[in-house]
Amino acid sequence: MGKRKIFFAISGALVLLCIAVLLTKGITLGVEFRGGTVMTFSNGGTATVEQMRDALEAAGVPDTANATIQLADDGGFIVRTAESSTISATAAFQAVVTSLGLPAQETNVTTIGPGWSSNVTQAALIALVVSIIAILVYVSLRFEYKMAFTAVLALLHDGIICIGIYALAGREVTPNTVAALLTILGYSLYDTIVIFHRIRENATGLSKMSFMDMTNESINQMMSRWINTGLIQIIPVACLLFFGGETLRDFAFAMLAGLLSAAYSTVALASPLYATWKEREPRFQALKKKYEARAVK
Amino acid sequence: MKSKRNTIISLVGVVLLLALAVWQAWPLDAKITQGLDIRGGLSVILSAQPFEGQALTEETMARVETILVERVNQFGVSEATVQRQGTNSFLVQLPGVENAEQALQLLGEPGRLEFVDYSSITDTATLSLIDDQLYAEQAGETTSLPALDAAKYDAFMTGEVISKATVTADDYGNPAVSVSMDSSGTAIWADVTSRLAGQGVPVLIVLDGHVKSAPTVRNAILNGDTIIEGSFTIDEANRLAAVLESGSLPVDIAIDESRLVSATLGQDSLKQGLLAGVAGLVLVALFMLAYYRGLGALSVVSLAIYSTLYLGTLGVLSAVGVFALTLPGIAGIVLTIGVAADTSILIFERLKEEIEAGKTHRSAAKSAVRSAIGTSIDADIVTLVSAVALYVFAIGPVKGFAFTLMLGIVIDLIAALLFTAPVIRLLAEGPMSRIPWLFGVKGGDRRG
Repeated sequence: MGKRKIFFAISGALVLLCIAVLLTKGITLGVEFRGGTVMTFSNGGTATVEQMRDALEAAGVPDTANATIQLADDGGFIVRTAESSTISATAAFQAVVTSLGLPAQETNVTTIGPGWSSNVTQAALIALVVSIIAILVYVSLRFEYKMAFTAVLALLHDGIICIGIYALAGREVTPNTVAALLTILGYSLYDTIVIFHRIRENATGLSKMSFMDMTNESINQMMSRWINTGLIQIIPVACLLFFGGETLRDFAFAMLAGLLSAAYSTVALASPLYATWKEREPRFQALKKKYEARAVK
Repeated sequence: MKSKRNTIISLVGVVLLLALAVWQAWPLDAKITQGLDIRGGLSVILSAQPFEGQALTEETMARVETILVERVNQFGVSEATVQRQGTNSFLVQLPGVENAEQALQLLGEPGRLEFVDYSSITDTATLSLIDDQLYAEQAGETTSLPALDAAKYDAFMTGEVISKATVTADDYGNPAVSVSMDSSGTAIWADVTSRLAGQGVPVLIVLDGHVKSAPTVRNAILNGDTIIEGSFTIDEANRLAAVLESGSLPVDIAIDESRLVSATLGQDSLKQGLLAGVAGLVLVALFMLAYYRGLGALSVVSLAIYSTLYLGTLGVLSAVGVFALTLPGIAGIVLTIGVAADTSILIFERLKEEIEAGKTHRSAAKSAVRSAIGTSIDADIVTLVSAVALYVFAIGPVKGFAFTLMLGIVIDLIAALLFTAPVIRLLAEGPMSRIPWLFGVKGGDRRG
């Protein structure tokens, strides 16, 4: 806890760094948010990315210069374009298969209209705001508002870092990313609440040490649980990342970044921040003075 | 002794639940409904947009829904569904549909249906466009031809008079379309067919400015019951019937989102998801065994019970038709493994602490279970809150993710209360004191 100022500084620097990355680099929104088409060619044969781009152009797909064409691990292609008509996208898919001489394959095409994409974005934002408000209310009622606000602060910290890492990696943000982000916020809280539970338990009838020391003590008591749970939550997510295939990898990447940040923020941000805030209460201020004086001597 | 009886009751309950779960979920691929992204098929979100100056009433939405269901049924796909989403959208799912272009065209057709007397058209450009459209229609091409100019022709009646259109067979057993109409339609139709009978003049069936069919009138039809014959394939007949029956929709229908996934891609994704899930479970189990030994074995059994109950619940939900496993859903399930294991970790760590603090095994077990489950419930509720917000407000595939996450949290608590907690209390009664090293609960035995 003595190092809390360093932790605060690290967190602050990370958050600022992430915001800077977001502002300069920006995030790549998936077609679900912009409107457009994703075509998945399960078998890419021997075609190159450039051949694919030309074939798309020839098949009448608009704006192929800005299409992202990704070579998947299993030799297929994932193509994202601005095409907004489902029917022409479906036709273009088979046209590309024929013109590139790819092995015969079934059509995999997702098209999102521009109107719908704004719906998706709006729904995601509403879900985010509503869950934060619900959490603030629940934690304030069940525990106290100081816990609620420090927990939500840690959560925002995790969220920003998570998005920042996304921007840095240049990965595309899809609704799956948003879902992963919201889950991370859930996890971040979960982790924080577990520690807060112990702090609250130890705080009743506190008289032998300052609030800050007690918080430190609480974290130490929970240390092996904190490490074990952290590991155990990372294991399945890492499995998703390694074995899960392209769709699930989207979740796993955001989740992994978020899990690490969530575990860190519980111990390094939420708890010390809460303790700092609590020490301003007269009762704990007195305790702090008493034990600080002793420590100096 | 009363607590012992409770323990036995809850363990018997767990065994019964497990049997029920296995019965409901085995074999997995038959009992758990797979979503479209796994089994393959076409999933479309359509929105209804009322004509200018008109409000979108509940009645209209209900009518559009009926018509969509009618259209969807024409595809002959089993388990096709139409679901209302939000105020003006529908989610249409067509498992296993292969001809996506045809399906999308039919679903998205706005359905302004008109009947036109070919001989009443004088404009030559319009006449040649009609020929082109008919040619493209018969060749089954996706047409980029323009729609007919509404000012250049007069419809003698619109699709609203059609009360029923079904596929039937003509005298030679070839597909044909049978049409019946209401009284006002019957009167007009009797008039027109009397005039055109035997003249070789086609009646144009025009949908949204595109000629869909141009049958000639053989006899006067006085009672409205009409058979349209032609060299239809069964598909063409189906489509014409759907077009006729859809009549004049009071709204435009737009395709907002469509996802076409082939069965091969879906099954590959399922395999990868399952592999990730199983690998995650096994690694977590190994970790728990290595670190907690005897208690670890207990948590492995808890995880197995958790997984079985989870699959059983999915089986039950599939059977009543409210659940289909999607890829985001699988991700949700894999993530709950961590939550489930954490419940055990919280209990074990608390137990060790209490024993170190000098409590007897029995009283330590009692208070560790009580306080750890309390912590777990509080933390779970907070996670649940965000999952519920996601489920209620998010749209599209993310819903499946939120659902499996919520389910995981609830089942985890049930497994902890019914199994882990009573068994720990039971172990504390004897085995834990006799072989403390196995449970890692002896004072000096504690790590880190």
